[in-house]
Amino acid sequence: MSEKSKNFEESMKRLEAIVTELEKGDFSLEESLQRFEEGLKLGKSCKEILEKAEAKVKTLVEDSEGTLREEDASP
Amino acid sequence: MQVIAHGRLTLYETYGQFQMVVNVIEEAGVGDLERAFQKLKEKLGKEGLFEVEHKQALPAYAFRIAVVTSPTGAAVRDIIATLSRRWPCSEILVVPVRVQGDLAAGEIVRALEQIPRAGAVDLVILGRGGGSLEDLWAFNEESVARAIHACPLPIISAVGHETDVTIADFVADVRAATPTMAAEIAVPNVDDVFSTVVESQRRLGRNMKARLDGVRSKIQELLKSYALGQIRNRIQSQLQTYDYAIEKLQRNMIDRIARCGVRLDGFVARLKGLDARAVLSRGYAICADFETGKGVQTVDGALLAGNLRVTFSDGSVLSEVKERVDE
Repeated sequence: MSEKSKNFEESMKRLEAIVTELEKGDFSLEESLQRFEEGLKLGKSCKEILEKAEAKVKTLVEDSEGTLREEDASP
Repeated sequence: MQVIAHGRLTLYETYGQFQMVVNVIEEAGVGDLERAFQKLKEKLGKEGLFEVEHKQALPAYAFRIAVVTSPTGAAVRDIIATLSRRWPCSEILVVPVRVQGDLAAGEIVRALEQIPRAGAVDLVILGRGGGSLEDLWAFNEESVARAIHACPLPIISAVGHETDVTIADFVADVRAATPTMAAEIAVPNVDDVFSTVVESQRRLGRNMKARLDGVRSKIQELLKSYALGQIRNRIQSQLQTYDYAIEKLQRNMIDRIARCGVRLDGFVARLKGLDARAVLSRGYAICADFETGKGVQTVDGALLAGNLRVTFSDGSVLSEVKERVDE
């Protein structure tokens, strides 16, 4: 799995966990505020990733020396 | 054994009988390819290539997806269209291969070896559109099955239509009925994920607002009816306590002095009552040991002392104790 995929999944899980934790209300006000800020940051970065660009299509090609190259193939 | 016969059917009207002239006859359902398929399936099955323990979980969010298929077929179009629609934040890496003919299996194997080297690929979709059993044959080759098994990345197979099942499907981590289905399985819907994030943020906001509102009204409550009032009241009540204590102290002193006076008077009166001389003047006398001066209250005491000092109201005398006398 790529780092991006792993990080995104972790962010989503963390965000969900924070929401659940905050709704339980076990934290002090200060802890709650910290979690709240963390949650907002995570949400923002997740949204940025989701909003990024149309799907890019590339073609994997191998030259005679066995080197792999990716060519832009967006329709 | 069941067979499929091809031929001409004729009706003998005289006897009401059908007659069939057969020119081709083959085993029903199981041709050469079918037999090869069953044999390989059995072999790889015994080796454990289809076992669940080899199945990798698909990533929840794949951002780079390799698509191993013909670059010109309908399958690649369907996959790209579906991936772009559902999950436009991803990158699609098409790995062009032939998907039928003698060279197909070799190219597919090579592609599956290249993809891990291409870097950061989260998921592989391997497939093609529908076709005859011969058309799909590359996906029933042992080399392809082993390459799928050896590939470290999760693979979704999508070969042909819903009813087509290949060896590749058994070895792949997930089998999709069609290429479009493979793309649906491969990625989530961006709108759903986006809504989840937005909803999480909303819940965070709602929760924090409620929390802060609670704190604010608590503070106001404290300011209004408690904190300040309490401090003022406390100062005031402490002042009162202080005043009261001083007043009480002063009153106590006066009381005590007054009470001491009363008690003093009492003592004086009692002392007066105790004054022995008042008794002596009524005809009593006090006996004491002449030597020690200690009071003598009994006959034995008097006999022991021998000499007694007897005090009357007007003075004392020395008297000698002679003996006990009976009354």
